[in-house]
Amino acid sequence: MIRRVLAMREAALALVVLALFAVFAFTVEGFADWFNLCEQSRHWIVPGMIAVPMTLIITTAGIDLSVGSMVALCGTVLGLLYRDAQWPIALAAMAAVLVGLSCGTLNGVVSSYLGIPPLVVTLATMALFRGVAMGLSQAEPVTGFPAGFRWLSQGDLFTIQGSGGPVGLPAPLVALVFAVLLGWIVMRRSWMGRYIEFIGDNETAARFAAIDTRLVKCGLYAACGAICGLAAIFHTALFATAKADTAQGLELSVIACVVVGGTRISGGRGTVIGTLFGLLIIGMLGFGLDMAEVDWLGSQHIVIFVGALVIVTAIFNEWMARWKGDHQ
Amino acid sequence: MAESTIELSHIAKSFGGVPALQDVSITFKAGEVHGLVGENGAGKSTLINIATGVLRPDQGAIRLSGHPITLSDARDATRRGIAVVHQEADLFPQLSIAENMLLARGLVRARTGLIQWPATYRRAAQLMDEVGESFDVRATAGGLSVARRMMAEIAAAVSWDPVVLFLDEPTSALSMNEIRRLFGQIRALSDAGVAIVYVSHRLEEVLEICGRVTVLRDGRLVATQPASELTMDQIVSAMVGRELAQMYAKREVPIRDVRLEVAGATAKDGAFKDVSFSVRAGEIMGMYGFVGAGRSEIGQALFGLRRLSEGKVLVDGKDVSARSPRDAVRSGIAYVPEDRLVQGIFRGQSVRANATVAMLRKLSTLGCIRSRREVALATAVVDEMRVRTSSIEQPIATLSGGNQQKVAFGRWQCTAPKVLILDEPTRGVDIGAKAEIHRLICDLAEKGTAILLISSELPEVMAMSDRVIAVSEGRITATLDPARDGEKAVATAAVPKGTQAEAAAPRSEPKLLKRLLHLRELGLIGFIAVLSVGMTLVAPGKFATVPNFLDILSNAALPAMVAQGAMLIICAGGIDISVGSMLGLVGAMAAMAATAGAPPWLCLLLAVSAGVCLSLINAGTSLLARIHPIIVTLAGISIYRGLMRVVTSNREIMNLPAGYRALADGRVFGIPKICYYVVAVTVLVHLLLRYTLWGRRVLALGNSESAGRQIGLSKARLTLFVFAVSGALVGLAAVLHAGYYGKVQANTGEGMELKAIAAAVIGGTNILGGRGSAPGTLLGAFLVALLYNVLILADISSYWQNLFVGALILGAVVVDVLLNRLRGAGS
Repeated sequence: MIRRVLAMREAALALVVLALFAVFAFTVEGFADWFNLCEQSRHWIVPGMIAVPMTLIITTAGIDLSVGSMVALCGTVLGLLYRDAQWPIALAAMAAVLVGLSCGTLNGVVSSYLGIPPLVVTLATMALFRGVAMGLSQAEPVTGFPAGFRWLSQGDLFTIQGSGGPVGLPAPLVALVFAVLLGWIVMRRSWMGRYIEFIGDNETAARFAAIDTRLVKCGLYAACGAICGLAAIFHTALFATAKADTAQGLELSVIACVVVGGTRISGGRGTVIGTLFGLLIIGMLGFGLDMAEVDWLGSQHIVIFVGALVIVTAIFNEWMARWKGDHQ
Repeated sequence: MAESTIELSHIAKSFGGVPALQDVSITFKAGEVHGLVGENGAGKSTLINIATGVLRPDQGAIRLSGHPITLSDARDATRRGIAVVHQEADLFPQLSIAENMLLARGLVRARTGLIQWPATYRRAAQLMDEVGESFDVRATAGGLSVARRMMAEIAAAVSWDPVVLFLDEPTSALSMNEIRRLFGQIRALSDAGVAIVYVSHRLEEVLEICGRVTVLRDGRLVATQPASELTMDQIVSAMVGRELAQMYAKREVPIRDVRLEVAGATAKDGAFKDVSFSVRAGEIMGMYGFVGAGRSEIGQALFGLRRLSEGKVLVDGKDVSARSPRDAVRSGIAYVPEDRLVQGIFRGQSVRANATVAMLRKLSTLGCIRSRREVALATAVVDEMRVRTSSIEQPIATLSGGNQQKVAFGRWQCTAPKVLILDEPTRGVDIGAKAEIHRLICDLAEKGTAILLISSELPEVMAMSDRVIAVSEGRITATLDPARDGEKAVATAAVPKGTQAEAAAPRSEPKLLKRLLHLRELGLIGFIAVLSVGMTLVAPGKFATVPNFLDILSNAALPAMVAQGAMLIICAGGIDISVGSMLGLVGAMAAMAATAGAPPWLCLLLAVSAGVCLSLINAGTSLLARIHPIIVTLAGISIYRGLMRVVTSNREIMNLPAGYRALADGRVFGIPKICYYVVAVTVLVHLLLRYTLWGRRVLALGNSESAGRQIGLSKARLTLFVFAVSGALVGLAAVLHAGYYGKVQANTGEGMELKAIAAAVIGGTNILGGRGSAPGTLLGAFLVALLYNVLILADISSYWQNLFVGALILGAVVVDVLLNRLRGAGS
């Protein structure tokens, strides 16, 4: 019985999400407030979107450490094209996605086709992309984006007049829902998802099963780059600023969502729904602890918490998988 | 010496519930050559692994010269005089041949404990002489042919004066001459009182060299008898447990037109040359050869897993020279691989997923798998192959080897291939499954599939094939009719003649100059010199000044120190990207202690121990959870930086006492103090890595974990060791950093991990582990600092700095990989 419940990782995670919500709702004033939660959720869009391709990459036993730098670079390019080159904002946004795609393709080609471990490649490109962003902008933030663009992250859909003012659904949630849905279909329904699991399970056997493992992996890193480009649009719109030193440490929050969601860091199994729950847990923890204003745990120390959580759940995932393997 | 040397009694061992050995009792006597025979999967390897300490028995006892012993690992067994020569010798490809031979026990050391390389090389060369081989023992082992590898292993094993020597299929890759020489050695050893256990498939050899023979079948001991009382037929029937005629049920089916035609196929990597043959529809073509003969390579090339440099492959008359497995599948070629666990199945997946992988895209519409069609196909495969499983959703790992193999076979059978290549389809499966697999092969032939049956089991090849190709040294030596020509002709044609070994003989000792050119350190010095000269010409007043030079030196110093630790960790196959944050945290703690009045030496001690502790936490966590250190240390970046802010309450620490600052600040003989520290550290790390057993073991671990296990290296101990050294260096660097700059800030140490890794990989450390150099790392750090200096002088904004670190790491790693490929192709 216990095994059955534990096997349904997603169900267990849903319970954790509910429990966490209940605890915060009762103990922290201002947590269970529709307006607050909506405003807070705007900050979860970027890590959430990127966590979807990251889930797929980690399922192949890979990793992408350069996502934060890609977001910064794409945002910077967007800002510079808009301000200095006077491009229309839509065109600049498209360029940002293209930049992301090229960065991701670089990661993919070097790691898959030259056979260099992705952690080394993306560690190097993490510095490289950040350096390009810093150099291009000379670390000067770009501001002055049009209202229509800012609406992407700051606006609401279906606004209704509530008791305490207008209440609506944050517009960028649509992008997150779309990304998760797409990721879920790929992972659970398509042959591509199966191939991804096969590669993480046993890459040699995948090659012997006539799967073009290098193309699949390369494609995943490229897609991750493109999604970082998309996320950069929302990121820039949210802060109405394009900065080169933004999104530092984003890779850790993204990986935290994936790992807390139950995807094993050593590959073979991945769950996009789990990652969504992981995002909710990390997001609520951050927001709740922030609102609670715990003395010894200032807002900047949340990272300690997230870091510890990653390690603990990564260990838990591995042990769980091994324990299950032993008991079959 | 006692009469009975090693005695195994009532040994039992099982893997995941499947018994591999049951109640086996054998005595290997001193001065006797004891033959150990049995089919694949009979338990010979398990027995050897237990007797040599690699595996522990579930039950039973081992006695050595009458005393009961428990072997904790392979090194323990070696210490007690139990030596083994493995069949497919795992080796450390980036270490020299001499070191491969002597690492486990025989590296020559001075009284100081440091390794004496010239003496070690002499010893290795002398040992090779004794077995009648002579080649450069300084060359790296990666390029050795299988035969030479075997001879080197035997030479090494003999050198330990073993009490018991296990030889696992020692002749499988040897030529006639080499076998003669080996037999001479064996006789000499057994005359000297060594107990020798000789494991082989070649029964004639067993009968020739052995005094007694033990037959194993399905994990049980069938008989132990003097060889003089045995005939080949008796051994064979004891091995298989029934008459051969019943074993293989070949059905005659009509043979039609030519389906597969291979003309002049030559492998790009030289694994085989000028291979031509054809297989007709309905025909079973056997392919027989020894280990390393190139059989599997031919099969894999037909399937597009290896490149052909010349030649053609035709299916039904159409040129299909496959460039990738997908091309091959499209043109109707399927390949069931030899190593089921590594190449065949996905252990974490269900029977269903494993069975349908080859048809997945055909089962999908718009990219989505139609689950009803998938279930139907999986059910059909399970039924047709008679896979014994409770449901198609059962995890494949819980099936027996034979049933797993049937799934791996069924995966391709259901694609209705025109040509099916089966590589050792019955290796390690039980007899019942074997018969069923043979029946399925005949079924497919009946449907008109052309079948290439690669096998090293001669009886199987003889009984199942319509024709047989013998392969030796990458060439086809004969095409025979099994019924007419007989076993002997096939076996003779497959025996290597030793021509390839000559061709692949390692080059003669390279000239001194050439050896020097191979040294990465000299290349780096050259590059640094060219860059410096160039800069001097461009900007003489700014670049070529003493203050600027000292500036570069002091900028290089601390990253170089951290890089030495990073290099060691990378050598062992790990990585630590949290060293920058760690340096910040440790530096802050030490500086706070100093401002609180602690004497400098106490601060230093505190910092070093704190560094060691944090680093050990990183290593311990990743070992305990068996997850890659990258994930632990990635989290560590945030955790340590966060803790640093908690510890310092977000304030800068300034006004350090003068005594503390004097540790690092200031000059001696005009050169900054910190440079002396770094040189000392580099010398120590160099000694450690190059001249101590611990250092060599770290490199060996990074070369090959599995080979390391065979000689009993402890991954945990070595990993903890390198992390501890790295932590100590981070601690030292943290104190010096604070002393040199006079303060600790919130961002102290940020980006240090990148500079350290850059210095290490530029200095010639293989990012995949197993190769590294302390002087190279020092030069790498200097080069990084020099490039930064050049950027500043060239008025390039410091905002671009990150770009250069990233590009340097990426560039160095890519160049390293490409160089290795080039070297690999050249040898």
